[in-house]
Amino acid sequence: MNNFLFFLTLIAMGYVVGTLVEKRHYRSIHEREKKFLYLPAVTMKTVNHPDQKVMSAELVCGSAVISIDYFKRLLASLRNIFGGTVKSYESLIDRARREALIRMKEMAGDATVIVNVRIETSTIGRNANKKGVGCLEAMAYGTALTLEK
Amino acid sequence: MKYTPRQPGSNVNVTPTSPLREFFLLTAGLLGMVIVIYMVLGLAVDLIVPRISTDLENKMGGLFVGSIAAKDSDSKRGTHVRSLLEDLQDRCAQLPYLFKVHICQSPTMNAAALPGGHIIVYTGLLDKVASENELAFVLAHEMGHFAHRDHLRGMGRAFVFITISTLLLGTDSSISKMLANGLNLTEMSFSRKQETRADEFALETLYCDYGHVGGATDFFKKISKAEDPGTFGHYFASHPESRQRISHLENIIRSRKFKLGKRKPLPETWRQLKD
Repeated sequence: MNNFLFFLTLIAMGYVVGTLVEKRHYRSIHEREKKFLYLPAVTMKTVNHPDQKVMSAELVCGSAVISIDYFKRLLASLRNIFGGTVKSYESLIDRARREALIRMKEMAGDATVIVNVRIETSTIGRNANKKGVGCLEAMAYGTALTLEK
Repeated sequence: MKYTPRQPGSNVNVTPTSPLREFFLLTAGLLGMVIVIYMVLGLAVDLIVPRISTDLENKMGGLFVGSIAAKDSDSKRGTHVRSLLEDLQDRCAQLPYLFKVHICQSPTMNAAALPGGHIIVYTGLLDKVASENELAFVLAHEMGHFAHRDHLRGMGRAFVFITISTLLLGTDSSISKMLANGLNLTEMSFSRKQETRADEFALETLYCDYGHVGGATDFFKKISKAEDPGTFGHYFASHPESRQRISHLENIIRSRKFKLGKRKPLPETWRQLKD
């Protein structure tokens, strides 16, 4: 019985805290995305620009690790039984990727454009502790070009 | 190509959905599945249990009695209990079991029936009993479980359930734990009927052996004082609340016109053995 109550508390806590944290994170993502709007990040390998005009080109990267909350994990494992889109993980991956992109832009400083942007995702801490809540890492990297005006 | 800075209006990567609704929907689906499985299991157990031979049962019993038998203690009072049990079995409750009594050091006021004719008696019970009739009733109650093969029924369902749940979800899954918790409760409320039947069996046996049923309700009167069921007690008590059981027994005594005779005291050495 105590185990069951403990379990329910964990779910409720996971839901309430998880939702609050997610909302706050999205707010901050929106704000910072707006702030970095001046800096385009594109997947093209080159920009049509004479080489002499490129002042610097350097690797920039940003990575973010986001953890699943207890409620989301439970929802996902319920989904594992019935199948279908695992909606509870969608926001998690979305947050991690956008956060990684923003951090990459932060690293680029006053570059003009970031080209050849790639995003990679990996899971962390699943093998180390199988019972624990898994984490997701998203990493974004690209080449920041500073062009002569 | 001109770069126009703008933020995307809506987020296509995240489905707008209510996670709570999804959670309740999925949980309800899962619960439905479990209930169906559980009912099928219940039917299967009822089909299988009467067909399990005592021989096979003895073999299974050996699997998990080993650790208890090793801790067997209090041999002198154990001998008394054993001889009392043999008397009951010879005279009144002829069951195809070779009963083995294990005395277990624990303040619990209880006894338990395990497959293979093993009866575990806790020293807490031995310390509290006041008459032979009272002890005989508790022993006969456990024998009643053997007569109805309740101990196998309980184990069978739990056993099959755990197998299925681990097959589906694995041993560490939080969901299978959640299910196990929920199922345990139903299992317990299911066993209330069995307890009542075992009580009835014990009452018959007591009447047959002593010619009267004095001391039959003594044990429950003691635990009804000791136990406090609390808010959830009604549902979680594996033994139906003692007061209910007392009144049920008294009803039978009245309707069957059983006599209430003088209780037979425990052997004098009993009290000394306790110390």
